[in-house]
Amino acid sequence: MAATTSQGKTFTTFVASLTVSAAGLAFVATGIGKVALVLGIIGLAAALWGFLKIKPAEGKVPVNKQPAVLKLAALALALGGWLIVIVGLNLSASVGGRMTTTVIGLVITLSGVIGLMPIAASKNAIWKA
Amino acid sequence: MRIARFASGICALALVLSSGAGIVVRAEAAPSASAAELKDAASKAPSTATLAAGDPGGALTGTISDVPVGDSKAGLTLGDVANQVGQNKIGINFTWTLVCGFLVMFMQAGFAMVEAGLCRVKNANHTYMMNFFVYGCGLFAYWIIGFAIQMGGAAGNGNLGGLQPLASEHTVSLFGHTWGLFGQSGMFLTGHSYDVGVMVIFLFQMVFMDTALTIVTGACAERWKFLTFAVSSVLMGAFTYPLFANWAWGGGWLSQLGTNLGLGKGYCDFAGSGVVHAVGGITALAVALIIGPRIGKFNRDGSSNVILGHDMSAVLIGCFILAFGWFGFNPGSTLGASAAGNLRIGSIAVNTMLAGCTGTFGALLYMWSLRGKPDASMSGNGLLAGLVAITAPSGFVSPISSAIIGFIAGVLVCLSVSFVENRLKVDDPVGAISVHGTCGIWGVISVGLFADGTSNYGGSWNGVTGSVTGLFYGDASQLVAQLVGVTTLIGFVFSFSFALNWVLDIFIGQRVSAETEIAGLDLPEMGQLGYPEFVFVPEPSHLVATPQVAVA
Repeated sequence: MAATTSQGKTFTTFVASLTVSAAGLAFVATGIGKVALVLGIIGLAAALWGFLKIKPAEGKVPVNKQPAVLKLAALALALGGWLIVIVGLNLSASVGGRMTTTVIGLVITLSGVIGLMPIAASKNAIWKA
Repeated sequence: MRIARFASGICALALVLSSGAGIVVRAEAAPSASAAELKDAASKAPSTATLAAGDPGGALTGTISDVPVGDSKAGLTLGDVANQVGQNKIGINFTWTLVCGFLVMFMQAGFAMVEAGLCRVKNANHTYMMNFFVYGCGLFAYWIIGFAIQMGGAAGNGNLGGLQPLASEHTVSLFGHTWGLFGQSGMFLTGHSYDVGVMVIFLFQMVFMDTALTIVTGACAERWKFLTFAVSSVLMGAFTYPLFANWAWGGGWLSQLGTNLGLGKGYCDFAGSGVVHAVGGITALAVALIIGPRIGKFNRDGSSNVILGHDMSAVLIGCFILAFGWFGFNPGSTLGASAAGNLRIGSIAVNTMLAGCTGTFGALLYMWSLRGKPDASMSGNGLLAGLVAITAPSGFVSPISSAIIGFIAGVLVCLSVSFVENRLKVDDPVGAISVHGTCGIWGVISVGLFADGTSNYGGSWNGVTGSVTGLFYGDASQLVAQLVGVTTLIGFVFSFSFALNWVLDIFIGQRVSAETEIAGLDLPEMGQLGYPEFVFVPEPSHLVATPQVAVA
């Protein structure tokens, strides 16, 4: 089973709710804006619930579950390296000092994104079976 | 005696009056020289009777008579002429920006052809549809909220009349400076943002945003569920892209690295190697890591199999459509063709052409020399790699630098494709991660190296006086600013995109079923084959074997 009417209806709910939420946010200073925002968020939650409900009916996918801990560690490295760059800009006022901390942060970020994350994504890869 | 005294008093009064002392008498002001010249010129304009005879040479059309007069009683004034000059400047800039935006919009067709051509025939309809519908998804998301996040605080652009309605940027104070985070004005283009200048910048920025979104469809082709693609694209157009674009182009913190910390002119990205292409390529990497490789792409020992596309003519024609559209992408990013250094549009267009040319050479010569054949798909990717790489520096560098940047990009894309596939074990059917991610980052870095300080866009860039100058021309701090941008792309944008799509994988599922993938996505997902009258050639067995382990 692939595309279905259930998918279409749930996607329609998602799009409509997102529009109402955004309209509510745009006019959040008014009473009707607040109501629209709340209704929109409820609609989005309903759409997510709808997606979750139809997902099992869509057949088996050729992807094994990969270790979440490794993925989270990779994301932590990626974000951590970026934060080192941000903080490092304010630790030193010299171009050389800022270049050093930036390069260090970039290397750490890269180790997360192209080092650890691909390992995490293919640890239980289906082609290894 | 009394009469004599009275008469002398009258005479004295008359004397005082005639000298003007003590009494203000309003007199007619003499007409200024300029007003006289204007009146004289107006009188010499072709009459209606003369114009009624026709003007085949064009010498009589477009004269002083066409300048609007503010006050018909006063006639044509210097103020009227000055107002018209201002309107002309803005009109030229509006027209230039809009036409360039139309060219960029047409690039969607190029992307569609390149991606579909590199995919198998059984997925043609689905791949074309992703590139078709991403336009709607992106435009919708950008209209309701994305544009406001990106450009809500971008007021101050003199090329387009000031954009004053976009004057609401959410800021944060950190380390003694104020940093912009996201805009807050312009949702649904209502209220104050219902403005002629805002409409122009909306259209132009929207087509750039959609380019970023469409890049992801290439890396995830042949197995991305259409529903999840649609939801993911809406969210990318609403949040991921606009956030980084605000930081770089909307008055956000990356552009303020120069004014706040003295790092060159802040993060500089003339037309979007980072903002558009790297954001797209890095998001493509994030989704491709979640979605996994196509069935049969990798063998048990980790070696990869070639999965051929079905239409090389579509690929190469698509590349030319993209190269044509890039003439809107880079030169259009001046946002004007009048004043403020905008006559550099010719240089930018030539830089773009040169980088595309040398990018093609870089890839073709690499493949021919080392792999034995002038590979068509890699040559096309080489052209695109050069164009992607020159996008950021195009407004700041010389033609020679452009050629070097493009050539390096052409070789880099070949190395990157091999690295992504063989080392990272990421399946990318069209090379989107390498063309846009790797070469986009190279483009960002090349600004910090090759910017030569000869450009002059109104005397400053990102609020810092002077011209953008890179390491090779004396300013190492510019390179630092560029590397901060690169780390933000790889660290923040990747993490944000990965987290967002990981959630979507949990709720919706990113990938189609194994059964659907083997049959081809056209019928199960779209309900129709891309080429209903074709007879399909059976695929090799390793591409249609149902995997032994498949999970729901």
